[in-house]
Amino acid sequence: MSSTQTVLESAVSDPASSGLLISLSPLHGNALEATLANLAQAFPNQLIDVTTPDPIPPTPASSLRVTTYTPTAPALAGWILTAADYVNTYKRMQNHQSTACLLLGPEAQSLAPDALRALADQVVVGNADLASPRYSLSPRDGLINSAILYPVTRALFGTRPRYPQAIDLAFSLRAANRLAACAQKFTAANQTAAFIWPVAEAAAAGFTIAEVPVGLRALPPPDALDLNSLLAQVAGSFFADLDAKASFWQRSRLAYSPRDAAALTRAMPAQSDDSAMSEQPDVQPMIDSFRLAYINLHEIWSLVLPPNSLLGLKKLSIMPPTAFRMPDSLWARIVYDFVLAYRLRTINRGHLLGALTPLYLAWVASHLLLSSGTSAETLSPDKHIEALAAAFETDKPYLVARWRWPDRFNP
Amino acid sequence: MGQQIALALKDSMHRVLVKLASFLPGLLALLVAVIILTAIGALLALILRRILTAAKFDERFARSQNADVTDWSPGHSPTALVARIAFWACVVLGVIIGISAFDASYAGNSQIAAILIPYLTHSVGAILILIAGTVIARFLSRSVLIGAVNMQMQYARFLSLGIKWLVLVLTAAMVLDHLQIGGVVVELAFGILFGGIVLTLSLAIGLGSRDLVSRSLEKTADPRPTPSTYPTPEAVFNDLSPHAAPAAKHAEPLRHF
Repeated sequence: MSSTQTVLESAVSDPASSGLLISLSPLHGNALEATLANLAQAFPNQLIDVTTPDPIPPTPASSLRVTTYTPTAPALAGWILTAADYVNTYKRMQNHQSTACLLLGPEAQSLAPDALRALADQVVVGNADLASPRYSLSPRDGLINSAILYPVTRALFGTRPRYPQAIDLAFSLRAANRLAACAQKFTAANQTAAFIWPVAEAAAAGFTIAEVPVGLRALPPPDALDLNSLLAQVAGSFFADLDAKASFWQRSRLAYSPRDAAALTRAMPAQSDDSAMSEQPDVQPMIDSFRLAYINLHEIWSLVLPPNSLLGLKKLSIMPPTAFRMPDSLWARIVYDFVLAYRLRTINRGHLLGALTPLYLAWVASHLLLSSGTSAETLSPDKHIEALAAAFETDKPYLVARWRWPDRFNP
Repeated sequence: MGQQIALALKDSMHRVLVKLASFLPGLLALLVAVIILTAIGALLALILRRILTAAKFDERFARSQNADVTDWSPGHSPTALVARIAFWACVVLGVIIGISAFDASYAGNSQIAAILIPYLTHSVGAILILIAGTVIARFLSRSVLIGAVNMQMQYARFLSLGIKWLVLVLTAAMVLDHLQIGGVVVELAFGILFGGIVLTLSLAIGLGSRDLVSRSLEKTADPRPTPSTYPTPEAVFNDLSPHAAPAAKHAEPLRHF
């Protein structure tokens, strides 16, 4: 599989293989050189295996042992880690007899050397099975993650990582084995671009999960050009994964009390820290989109949502833009009901995810307004997302009950 | 004269009653066959359901990861799928046996049989077309409604209704044609209705998006932008892509993922 190998060890004082393999995604232009330079800086005294699908550039002397590889499973998405990435990485780990792997996604050159080191150390030194990065993103970034992926993963699987679908990960050999086995089901069906949910998978396997702050990171733009396709792609995969792991998350218990978490969130001072948005966002188009959908999609929503949620949406639709706030409990209930409808196929799944888009936009508008105002109720984006996650945790019994006995209540 | 009329009527009534008498057993045989086979199907489905539930068929199936079959099963239960297949197979079998019995109860040269049997078969086909048309109309109507709402089209509901009625009118025309009812009148009426709906939709879309079209034309006609009046590429993009609109108007755009 390996076609080229370059060993640059002149600067190594005491080269000792750490059993760590660093696997890179395809990088364009000078990005590979920059990434290798960062890696050399991050691991100055260790002999590290690095694999890349790109031609190896001439690099300054370092302890990196860089090899190229030809992916066995094709179709890399280019903006997210896919099933093919996990299968390929596990095979490379076996070839290199590595015990740990640092898998870096596209645009990895934007990660600082300290962050790379910290991520790898959590697995190599800290003995975690999975180390997930916590990116310092702008409050306007990663909104699907903030609205759905993080709070649902945290509530259902009892895990804390802020980015359940991070594009850089460090994991142990057994975690790699588990992820590859999960990915293999998709690649065997020729779905090489399918998403894998590593945090949920690790939680279901009972692995140790660590979260590492990695600071700023440039995220590659998604393939899907419009929000509808993106939301359908991400939420569809996520809901399907929840369905597959239902037997686990129905039993899992949280490591802390949701009530305490909610109290902690309330006790936080009502802002103004650095993460708050100083600029008032233009949310009017999003609110208009929601109002238009409320008029037209009410009939479809009523197939999925209970009367309480519909009443909440009615109130939301007549709120003035300045007071436009979607309660966290309402959003949690909406997401859970959509998860249930996805499972039960209440309506066509494509339609279901399409009908979620205006509701998501309403949440985004509410979140941006709540995070950017100057009133007493204004929260920093992070605090709001933590409060939202607590609301999802509090409402988890509703999801579990309806999952087990869906016929008890039909909206 | 009166006697002749009475005789003609009597003969006619006799002929009709004889035909009816020969028609009823066949119809009765059809109904009995359908009812009995439906009952057998329900019983078979019940037995299958109990046996498969006792054998934990669903769990075994889930373990073997046959996701495709599970996805298509009602309530994600392969047991329910098997039971339903058995039930409906019996019902279809009953209909086939019934039609066969109905057919056999007539002589080969019977005029009624020659008309009724093909008509019965056509009726089954027409019902299937009607069901398929209704399902497709609802699916397309919802697809268009959701898509149009997400594109922030103000006339989304109108568009969706238009598509729904387009398909329903097409279905109705196909059903009538299949039943050979109406002949040319149906084709003509269908042509007028279908054309009318398409014309209405075209006008609605054309008039509704005339601003967008005129902006597009202006842009093509005058490629030199004047800073004060000409829309920025972001603004044009916002017009065309509604979900990017709130983001692109700011220095820092929204990133959903």
